[in-house]
Amino acid sequence: MAHDDKSVSRRRILKNAGAAGVAGLAGLSGCSEGGDGGDGGGDGGDGGGDGGDGGEDYPSLGNYPIEGDTATFGFNVPQSGPYSSEGEDELRAYELAVEHLNNGGGWVDEWDDLSGDGVLDYEVDFVEGDTATDASTAEQSASRMVDRDGVIMFAGGSSSAVAIAQQGVAQDKKVMFTCCLTHSNDTTGRDCVRYSFREMFNAYMTGQALKPVLVDEYGDDLDFYQLYADYSWGKTVEESMRQFMTEAGWSEIDSVATPLDTSDFSSYLSEAQSSEADVLFLDHYGLDGANSLSDAVDAGIDEDMEIVMPLYNRPMAEAASSAIEGIFGTVAWDSQIDNEPSNSFTEAFGEAYDGRVPSGPAQLAYSGALQYAAAVERAGTFYPPEVIRELEGYEYDNIGMDEETMRACDHQAQRAIPVVRGLSESDQSDGNYFEIVNITSRDDVGYGCDEGPAAKCELGDYGDE
Amino acid sequence: MSILGDLVVLLVNGLQTGAIYVLLAIGLSIILGTLKFVNFAHGALYVIGAYLGLLITQEISISNGRLAEWGFPAIGLDWGFFAALAIVPMLVFVVGLAMERFVARPFYDRPDTDQILVTFGLAIVVQELIHALIGPRTYSYETPSEAFGLLPLSGPVGVPLSSVTIDVWRIWVIAITAILVIGVYAIVEYTDFGLVVKAGTRDPEMVRLLGIKITRPYLVMFGIGAALAGIAGVVGGPLQNINPEIGMTILVPAFLTVVIGGVGSIRGAVLGGTLIGMVQVTLISLGSVGLGGFEVNFTPWAQVGIYVLAVIVLLTRPQGLLGSEEVST
Repeated sequence: MAHDDKSVSRRRILKNAGAAGVAGLAGLSGCSEGGDGGDGGGDGGDGGGDGGDGGEDYPSLGNYPIEGDTATFGFNVPQSGPYSSEGEDELRAYELAVEHLNNGGGWVDEWDDLSGDGVLDYEVDFVEGDTATDASTAEQSASRMVDRDGVIMFAGGSSSAVAIAQQGVAQDKKVMFTCCLTHSNDTTGRDCVRYSFREMFNAYMTGQALKPVLVDEYGDDLDFYQLYADYSWGKTVEESMRQFMTEAGWSEIDSVATPLDTSDFSSYLSEAQSSEADVLFLDHYGLDGANSLSDAVDAGIDEDMEIVMPLYNRPMAEAASSAIEGIFGTVAWDSQIDNEPSNSFTEAFGEAYDGRVPSGPAQLAYSGALQYAAAVERAGTFYPPEVIRELEGYEYDNIGMDEETMRACDHQAQRAIPVVRGLSESDQSDGNYFEIVNITSRDDVGYGCDEGPAAKCELGDYGDE
Repeated sequence: MSILGDLVVLLVNGLQTGAIYVLLAIGLSIILGTLKFVNFAHGALYVIGAYLGLLITQEISISNGRLAEWGFPAIGLDWGFFAALAIVPMLVFVVGLAMERFVARPFYDRPDTDQILVTFGLAIVVQELIHALIGPRTYSYETPSEAFGLLPLSGPVGVPLSSVTIDVWRIWVIAITAILVIGVYAIVEYTDFGLVVKAGTRDPEMVRLLGIKITRPYLVMFGIGAALAGIAGVVGGPLQNINPEIGMTILVPAFLTVVIGGVGSIRGAVLGGTLIGMVQVTLISLGSVGLGGFEVNFTPWAQVGIYVLAVIVLLTRPQGLLGSEEVST
């Protein structure tokens, strides 16, 4: 089976190479494939011909061309600091992706573009870095990967400030970056770059996805109060929640910034409670989210007000445990989503890691690495501008979130969003903290290229103009 | 809500915010005042207290730590919160003794910078050790809802004269802090042991000449300071989620408390901690206020406020509000 996939993928490469009028490495490999004859003799011949036409290679750009026969990916995730457990799960997924790219397994066996025998005849290797969830540390680590380790692509999360810093490195050095967990509007809005792509949705889309569910559940004409984390991500969540909930007929009483890494939210919560609003949005992520939610529930505020956490993650749910019961939010992905790609990823991840259930960011990491590899195969080259063009406008339905488009104008995936509600402590199990209330279809979320965050996006150059 | 109600909420929130700082600052201040030892590992004692308390209170599952790889996917005694409250101070007292003997004592006569480096290094070692063994994930305490079937220990309680509710454990934190502070104050002020420590602080050479072995009271004092940090970890545990980094986060306000209150003074630590708590909470509560046609939002200044307070104190009274002048050198 793997062999069939391989031959199919080679033929695709050759066609693409032919269409683009270039040969490069793909064309040359096409020659040898064609020479093998056998089952793909005719197509192989085509490829050989195209390869002969081309002959010229792409110019050097960033870390292209790759020296040697190993393509190195860089995985820059938080390995220390409060997000490190999320980072470790991302790293597991990245390692799994590399394993599957080299030896087959998981989605690699299911995607036509991928062979399970490396990428474009290159074996895939990786280096890892620690962002410590700090923008400047992440930037240094990313630069080191690019300059010293010669990575052809780097990827990682979490935190939007960190992702935005790394995108800057990617665009400057002309080495592609694949976003993992970053939810700020700015990542594919005002801070978007040509050399980065984001599968994760953003705060704006979370607002769109939550609005109907919240109005349906809690009613219209309500007053709400927001506490938000005082950095790029928190601010965009706050703006988007205000925009969409005000559109729904709710009115905001106040919105208050809390410093990042606040451990005691009690005074902020007292203020929120004395405002006598009906709904309290806690626009906090990770540890801040776990602390603010636990503080709110311990103080009995959930009996007075409805609480909403716009973006959930697993470390937060683990830490807040019983406090998340009944609280609405959105997640990147959840293993309970029942479709072929989701199930096969959950199974492959569990097999590789002692039955562990993958988190949402793990799915983002795995799919990000494979999408990049598949785009390289389709482009027939690692030359970044060609890979970027391959990803722009790409339509897919193979990562468990229905049909998606990686939009060309802002590099933001247009996709469905899982809206979840926290389970009670007794219903929670290892890796399972939410019930899925709704998977809001991509037709109900999203925005045009000239509106919302996309209106502020200018992607920058490809590097081959 | 009435202005009186606002003030009551402010007072309760300010006191409970300050209480943990007070517990940490007392130990820090005593060690700095009596032993002239700058202990940046005091936050590590807080973390050790919090984790020991967690492991005594409940059983936790370890997903990322080395312990899980070594065949301990779940550890913990599950003896409940009261057991933790009783046992942790003793354990951290012992940790404090070991720290005094093997880390602090060799550095008593070394410059402050050496002491800061070695203790800060120790704090990082403790943090990374927990990170490696138990993993980076955060844990939350399971607090009992009531004690002896009568006293509520956790759960919401209404603040008088207001519509605000707070977790009743926060009131307990204030009460426990008050009892401990009075206890330590009594030991230092009214016992022979306290007299030796105070005399040793003023003139260690004379105390030695009088035939008193000064190292033992110092050792015990260090242990008491450590035990208080450990207790702070246990009583502060239910108020926030526990992870290996919490010690570093709390260290700065604890040092500020000592700076504001005055080195070596228990009363100073109480005053400093309470002031920091009150300033922080007051700025958060003020929110946006119209001042002469300008709208000023005070909330974002809450963190800055405590440093401004420290600056004002240092400029006007460098030895701290209740510190004695000769100690400030």
